[in-house]
Amino acid sequence: MRLSLVVHVCGLITRVFGLMFLAPLAVALFYGEHRDAQGFALATAITCVVGQLMRLAGGTASEVAVEGMRRVEGLAVVSMSWLLIAWMAGIPYMWVGLGPIDAMFEAMSGLTTTGATVLRDFSQYGKGVFFWRGLTNWLGGMGVIALFVAILPRLAIGGREIFFAEASGPDDEKVAPQIKRTAALLWRLYAALTVLQIVALLFTGMPLFDSVCNTFGTIAAAGFSPHPLSIAGYQNPAAEWVIIFFMFLAGANFALQYRALVRRDARIFLTDDELRAYAGVVALATLALALVIGGSVGGDAPLRTALFQVLSIITTTGFASVDFELWNDQAKVILLGLMFIGGCAGSAGGGPKVVRHLLLARFTLQELRRMLHPRAILPVKLNGRVVPPTILQGVVVFFLFYILTFAVCSTIVILLGADLVTGISATAATLGNVGPGFNLVGPMANYADLHPISRIVLTLAMWIGRLEVLTVLVILRPEAWRSGRWSSADRVTV
Amino acid sequence: MHIVIVGGGEVGAALARALAAEHEVSVVDQEPTVADRFASLDVDFIVGSGTSEEVLARANIKKADFFIACTGLDEVNIVACAIANRISSPETICLVSRADFLGSATDAGLEQFGINRVLWPEAQLAVDIEQVVTAPGAIDAEVFAGGVVRLLEYKLDASSPLVAGPVGSLHLPKGSLIVAVKRGGRLFVPRGNTQLAAGDKIILMGTPDAMREVERLVRPGANQGRQRVTIIGGGDVGLQVAERLENADNVDVRIVERGAERGALLAARLTQTLVLNGDGTDLEFLESEDVGRSDVLVCVIDNDERNLLASLLGRQLGVPKIVTRVGRPGNLRLFERVGIDVALSARGAAVASILHQISGGTSRLLAVLEHGEARVLELTVSTTFQARQLKGIGTPEDVIVAAILRGDHAIVPRGDDRIDPGDRILVFCTRAAAGRVQAYFSGTGA
Repeated sequence: MRLSLVVHVCGLITRVFGLMFLAPLAVALFYGEHRDAQGFALATAITCVVGQLMRLAGGTASEVAVEGMRRVEGLAVVSMSWLLIAWMAGIPYMWVGLGPIDAMFEAMSGLTTTGATVLRDFSQYGKGVFFWRGLTNWLGGMGVIALFVAILPRLAIGGREIFFAEASGPDDEKVAPQIKRTAALLWRLYAALTVLQIVALLFTGMPLFDSVCNTFGTIAAAGFSPHPLSIAGYQNPAAEWVIIFFMFLAGANFALQYRALVRRDARIFLTDDELRAYAGVVALATLALALVIGGSVGGDAPLRTALFQVLSIITTTGFASVDFELWNDQAKVILLGLMFIGGCAGSAGGGPKVVRHLLLARFTLQELRRMLHPRAILPVKLNGRVVPPTILQGVVVFFLFYILTFAVCSTIVILLGADLVTGISATAATLGNVGPGFNLVGPMANYADLHPISRIVLTLAMWIGRLEVLTVLVILRPEAWRSGRWSSADRVTV
Repeated sequence: MHIVIVGGGEVGAALARALAAEHEVSVVDQEPTVADRFASLDVDFIVGSGTSEEVLARANIKKADFFIACTGLDEVNIVACAIANRISSPETICLVSRADFLGSATDAGLEQFGINRVLWPEAQLAVDIEQVVTAPGAIDAEVFAGGVVRLLEYKLDASSPLVAGPVGSLHLPKGSLIVAVKRGGRLFVPRGNTQLAAGDKIILMGTPDAMREVERLVRPGANQGRQRVTIIGGGDVGLQVAERLENADNVDVRIVERGAERGALLAARLTQTLVLNGDGTDLEFLESEDVGRSDVLVCVIDNDERNLLASLLGRQLGVPKIVTRVGRPGNLRLFERVGIDVALSARGAAVASILHQISGGTSRLLAVLEHGEARVLELTVSTTFQARQLKGIGTPEDVIVAAILRGDHAIVPRGDDRIDPGDRILVFCTRAAAGRVQAYFSGTGA
């Protein structure tokens, strides 16, 4: 691993990320929040300077070496830059009075599209800050790095490794032969969906600022809402239907949506194995939940309420149209189960992903059949095509590490004083990038009351969960670093 | 006539043998060693590539009436036909082994290369096997005219309701007909007073609906549940049979393939079929997979010896119905003599079909049954034929009109149905009578 190259590319990404603060800066100025605006200006300055310094530290040799980026370097770049930009994204929060741990938590929660918050009193903060929260959601939904691969010419070729290191799901999928074009097309689709939803929400009577911020939270499957009571605060059934629709799309594979759209063929969408499983789980969970909550707590429209909450959790958005903390344990266990499913591969949703469950289920069934027919050749198929064994191994290993990470983190959180329900649901909700859990960290509550170390652990859980465990764990292996050297130039021994 | 055959394999040799007596035959093959096979025949053997103009010129292509490309390589066959067509204009027949060469309704396929007829023997074999497998109890089954006429062959046992009385008094379903009886090695068209007996093989034809009733009549209480089919050999034919059976209702398919790599390919292509990696001639393996409990065993290994062994092992394990592919047409009889229910030869069928085309006439050969003893022909009745009722026709001996095709449906004729000039008809006849059929229906019928 060439460290100078990793530093150089991280610097490149950080420097561009600095420009993102200009958007909330403009919003703060528009609403006359001059003190907040100074914070955003400062964040821009710090981020750009740090980025530029890192870029220079990497040296000119790295500029050439980017095109030959190796897999392990790609993984290191993605893991490191996500940590780095989360720090940077936390600067405005520190400016408005949050401690460093809380600022990092909030920023990581935004970028990883988790949507868990440590803000206690929403009225203290200006519109600029809420816009920034929404924007971090939106940037993280399709992937910060995917965006930069699309816009930075330097990453046009070397971007391949970091694009796939960030993308979700067990398999690499492209919609165009070139990685830069793939990233650009997906981002375009993402932006188009965003505009559509903003317009739709405006029609339901939601104010412009709230429409924009809630759209950012929906389309990224993230869940930051500028309203302290989340979507429940609007009491607007039409808006809930709009959000239900777009949450479903945010949790579905964008590459699939792109192909169906470009070829104008809905069958591509409807015959996909993963999408059908996803829709099936949503339908089943909704029915079960509607039955469980019934008329008692479901309000006037139990089906809509159930569907909203099911989609919110399975896509790992984390919005709430009612305070489901008040629901009975039977309803909560359904939601907790959904946290461990997640959205589709290549979607904005987090969690282990539907396709991994599908592959694991089929793999298990085939192994059961193998007991009956020891000599049978039993490939696992997805959409009629055989899935290579390496991918299946990857899926199995992913689940092992996902559960392991979950166990370790929840144990720590509970040992540090949280009750069992809070500890388990908080870890599941952050590792799966869902957002709200139950009890102390319910949809209308926040994470601020947890032990500071718990908050750090959960911040890392969000990071690990967003980058799908293995990306992070690989670079924690000493082996990845042992061969590390600073120079980018390949040494020639005579 | 002058006939050029490119490719001296099984098909080429069988064709040459059948044609050498009456026609001038030139055989082209690249392998000098193949010449031995033709040494005893009165043919001209030329060593060289069938895609070389110079070699084809030596085979006197300019005078050829038929050009048959039957090497093992599709591309060679296609190019050879295209070149032959450019030099002169013989009727070209090309053997292929892949679906995409057959062309479709929208696409002319190989016609654009000047190929008059494309034959895919293995595909036809797969269709035949599927028909036999999906007809419980039948030892042969075919469909004709796009599925509007079906043929079934059964072996009667003493408990069959069909041995109760003479054929005329049996109440067969309307739209079905007993076209032939085979008794003691002799095949004949039955008359109203023919008495069927246990041990007879009978061939019935009729509309699909009527034939379904026939199936119920012949085998009352046959198990209506799911059929278990085991295919041994995952080659071209095995794969196609499995693909076809997957689409049929109530069939569970297993396929046994020896090569692990080929097995993986099969497993990737097939969705419902269980692919087993093992040797179909390994008794222990067959026992461990309970092959004996299959309803049908289909042996389609590309090797007659191993196929025979696999079939006999299947019989030993108690499989009630065994369908086997035979590579060398000469082995067909032997296979059935040792107890295999249905032995089919792809190449044999292809050879028969080509020979029929060369012998001329307006009729099309649809099927060859009982090792060439009987045929099903489709022909158009001559315009000079005098229209009359069937009972007044007095067809030649051992010939029976099995169906009249009008529009897209078939009429299984009774005595008072009329045959008009221009009708398309399906005729069942014995080999000896085939020539008479041609003459009769293309003339005035006198």
